Amino acid sequence: MDGLKFVGQRIPKKDAPLKATGEALYIQDIKVPGMLYGKILYSKYPHARLLKVDAAKALALPGVKAVLTGADVPNNFKFGFLKDNPPLKSGKVLSTRDEVAAVAAISPEIAEQALSLIEVEYEELPGIFDPLEAMKEGAALIHEEFKSNVLKMPWKFVHGDVEAARKESAFIAEDSFSTQWVTHCCLGTSGCIASFDVGNNLTMYSNTQIPSLAQNDYLEALKTFGLKNRRVRIIQAVIGGGFGSKLDTYAYEYIAILLALRTRKPVKIVFTREEEFLATSPRQCTITKISQGCDKEGRLTFREIEMVLDNGAYTSWGATTPSVMMVPISSLYKVPNVKYTAKCVYTNNTYCQAFRGYGNPQATFAIESCLDQLAEKAGIDPLDIRRINANEPGEVTPQNFRITSCGMKDCIEEVNRRLGWKDKKGKTGDRGVGMASLIHVGGAARVYKSDGCGTIIKVDDNGKVDVITGSSEIGQGSDTIISQIVAEVLGVSIDDINVINNDTDVCPWDVGVHASRTTFVAGNSALGAAKKIKAQIMEIAAKNLGTEPEELEMRDGVIFSMKDKEKSIPLSKVLRKAHYTLGGRMLVAEHFYDPPNENFDQTFRGNLSVSYAYGAHGVEVEVDRQTGQVKILNYIAAHDVGKAINPMLLEGQIYGGGLQGIGYALGERMVYDKGYLKNGNFLDYKMPTVRDVPPVQAVIVESDERDGPFGAKGIGEPGLVPTAPAIANAVYDAVGVRIKDLPITPEKVLRALKEKAGERS
Amino acid sequence: MGGSYEYYRPATIDEAMALMEGSGGNGVYIAGGTDVMVLIRQKKLAPACLISLRNIGELAYLETGGGLTVGSAVTHDEIAKNAFIQRSYSALADATKKVGSLQIRNVATMGGNICNAAPSADTACPLLVLDASARIAGKGGERVVPLDEFFLGPNKVALEKGEILKGFAMPAFGEGTGSAYIKHTRREAMDLPMLGVAARVTIRVEGSEVGCRDAMCTIDTISNILKRFEDEGLVCEDARIAMGVVAPRPMRAKKAEEALKGKVISEKLLGEIGEIAASEAQPRDSIRGEAWYRRDMIQVLTGRAILRAVDRVIRPDDVIWPQRLW
Repeated sequence: MDGLKFVGQRIPKKDAPLKATGEALYIQDIKVPGMLYGKILYSKYPHARLLKVDAAKALALPGVKAVLTGADVPNNFKFGFLKDNPPLKSGKVLSTRDEVAAVAAISPEIAEQALSLIEVEYEELPGIFDPLEAMKEGAALIHEEFKSNVLKMPWKFVHGDVEAARKESAFIAEDSFSTQWVTHCCLGTSGCIASFDVGNNLTMYSNTQIPSLAQNDYLEALKTFGLKNRRVRIIQAVIGGGFGSKLDTYAYEYIAILLALRTRKPVKIVFTREEEFLATSPRQCTITKISQGCDKEGRLTFREIEMVLDNGAYTSWGATTPSVMMVPISSLYKVPNVKYTAKCVYTNNTYCQAFRGYGNPQATFAIESCLDQLAEKAGIDPLDIRRINANEPGEVTPQNFRITSCGMKDCIEEVNRRLGWKDKKGKTGDRGVGMASLIHVGGAARVYKSDGCGTIIKVDDNGKVDVITGSSEIGQGSDTIISQIVAEVLGVSIDDINVINNDTDVCPWDVGVHASRTTFVAGNSALGAAKKIKAQIMEIAAKNLGTEPEELEMRDGVIFSMKDKEKSIPLSKVLRKAHYTLGGRMLVAEHFYDPPNENFDQTFRGNLSVSYAYGAHGVEVEVDRQTGQVKILNYIAAHDVGKAINPMLLEGQIYGGGLQGIGYALGERMVYDKGYLKNGNFLDYKMPTVRDVPPVQAVIVESDERDGPFGAKGIGEPGLVPTAPAIANAVYDAVGVRIKDLPITPEKVLRALKEKAGERS
Repeated sequence: MGGSYEYYRPATIDEAMALMEGSGGNGVYIAGGTDVMVLIRQKKLAPACLISLRNIGELAYLETGGGLTVGSAVTHDEIAKNAFIQRSYSALADATKKVGSLQIRNVATMGGNICNAAPSADTACPLLVLDASARIAGKGGERVVPLDEFFLGPNKVALEKGEILKGFAMPAFGEGTGSAYIKHTRREAMDLPMLGVAARVTIRVEGSEVGCRDAMCTIDTISNILKRFEDEGLVCEDARIAMGVVAPRPMRAKKAEEALKGKVISEKLLGEIGEIAASEAQPRDSIRGEAWYRRDMIQVLTGRAILRAVDRVIRPDDVIWPQRLW
């Protein structure tokens, strides 16, 4: 790995100047000639019959070009994972984010005004807001056609014999844990512009993080609308954050399409901040029952988990989060017997979706909190029980994950050393330390049938390199990482590399920015294409230099013979030779990388990822016993990343993930009261500010993953996976109370302290 | 963005009041705009015209001779950075430096914070404990109202239509006086207080100087220092306590003040004072905080605010190095 010029370097993000100067064009900035503005009217009630939706007055308002209601959705079109969600509702509304009507007008102000002129008559119905209530026999049905509020997606994984292991365990800990709704808080709110040409082909300006899948969704919609065999082109604006929120298509996109079809004009819908809170989909809240056991030496004997997830009123891809929850449940630490069941339940709440970690943070909160309880029962230091059970290279886990590189133990040792664990653990006073580990997919995840990404590289006359990739840049830094990889392989300057990643008419297939897969999959794809183009370049250069291609090398855009340094030729000249010679050729290479991982089988077994990412977080807190406030004094986030392609960007992912995790652990919560969102704004939704950032040490552990590009694994999601249990464990160490329901608010800590004092007296 | 309106920038108070009269009652005064613009965007306010007070020199004074007078157009940042206020009217500096963000503090004015009369207004409690009175300009000339009488209820103040709050006057406090404000929040910036407590005390020690006398002073906690003073009789001569977000309007904890006056300050006493203050409050449940927690915090933070005010007398900022431990 020595002698790398770009890989492993702290190279600033390529798009940073654009974003810092305001030059970057977000969806908010994009205007198309003749464009109209769309706005959506949401339901007044969480559950109601729609008796009348009268748009006459809104239509009469000058400047209004169209008003659509549920009656205008052609052929009963529905979208979503179970196709249960019409873009505009008719008959009934099932949550307060239900779309009742939509307007297109010549200005956003007129569109807004028109919304207030739409007359809707509702007959309010009693709602169900608690998934446990919704599961009860005789509970009113959210979707009558499904005959049950429990989704027909039975999640069940069984390995070994949990009951037998339970009987044989020396120590058992069991408890219940719950987590809250949190939302992504992307600075760039959601939005799109839908535009049709005369042949009814759709161009969609969008900030989706799944262009290829969204293209497919729109094609399907157009087909239902009676427009078969049309083309869909997606042009992505600069994306101001995704975190999973843009991993599925939303009603507003179909509404923009329908409005554009009706008006024959491009229609733009961009969410306000309030809409972003209300009408995008948060992380699932969960109720988890867990028990774990160990033998006398502290070796885990079994893990059993039952989970209920609030699905909300409709079903997105988010309903598949239990599949990723299985990753830590089956494979975090060596655990021989595992049983997991999960139910997703319809309620009249907001429907949930993907959010960084995709269920892993919820599962890890329960596992790692309970592991500390088990360690206490067994009289083993929490750090030691993690050492004893840590995953190792070569292991095959209950779900048949084949563990390749694994730096888990190193991560635990980093936490131990940097936090000063042994000196601080279990001391009296108001301070305490806690830790938690993580496993996550680190070499993509075969969630869909394909897990691939394509890359096309072309080199022009002047020796400049265009890398056309299917993967999207959503702020995570993929254009920089891809540039570094290609520059490294070719031997050209990183500034000579231009990454094109925002147009489905140009870019090849990619399954999307999810599962921390971009560096691994798009990186490997770019690596393959770069090797192919290099071979082509060397072949032409060899002819011109009268040498063999094998003895050639390129550095700083100049090709030279390693045997005879006198023999050299600049890349640009090679290109001109290729283009200007009679019977010349283009220099284009393509490479499709689809990792050799496996879909789950019927029993949820299969090597989901080519490799797995590990990490351990350790935290020291101070608890104010009188106010219940938790202050983070020191935070260590150690991550096995295989190889850091760009340590600076990687640290950014760890800091960002850690901070998002701290928000999840200590304060963020969407407050829904009987279906109504009470804090849909940045004042009352307590995302941490820059002033709340504690000292965080991002520690990079390199385990050199054989299948990763230059040894790299994924890091997009892991940063927030173990944060909440690490903090909960530290609070317990500090003041002896365990908060089992996120977030760990001062109220909960103080109440628990009082209860504990009451017990004593 | 909430319809359209005229925007005026008068240069004098008289001009502003004339514009308001001419607006037929549909005008709104605007200073920093950090509350007014939010209300307009939320469609809770639809003025025919906005009359800006930012250009009026008469409102932008800050005088420090024989007390403190502050014009209503003085910004939070100007207050927070004023060394005299930091030292002699510390509670006010505490409050202004924790409002919103720097961007907000750069434009948000003292007058605006008070006239908005939110129960959570950060500067209200400090002004109450600093015995501030409001100077009000109206058609009949100027009138002065003690701040405690200025707040009438949520978003209601003792201003007649068209009147303009000119500023605040606070008396000079003698030796041995310190004040503090504690804002209890869920995060360090961009937050409203779950509750706020301000305290002002004047203290004396029987037969000696109030002040720190040994090297430990700069590094010890105030509660330890307090213990050393207990035998000598650290007496509270005068006290004010005010609480925010615990009632429809910012309020004084008058029973707690009375219970504190004339007593030797001890940690035990402060616990009792906190309990009395909590009994005077009427906190409610809201999404921002539960009533029981707010009540508990009044008890805790009242003691802490008093302690901090005492600390500022015993150990003025300039003797503390490198920084106070609390």
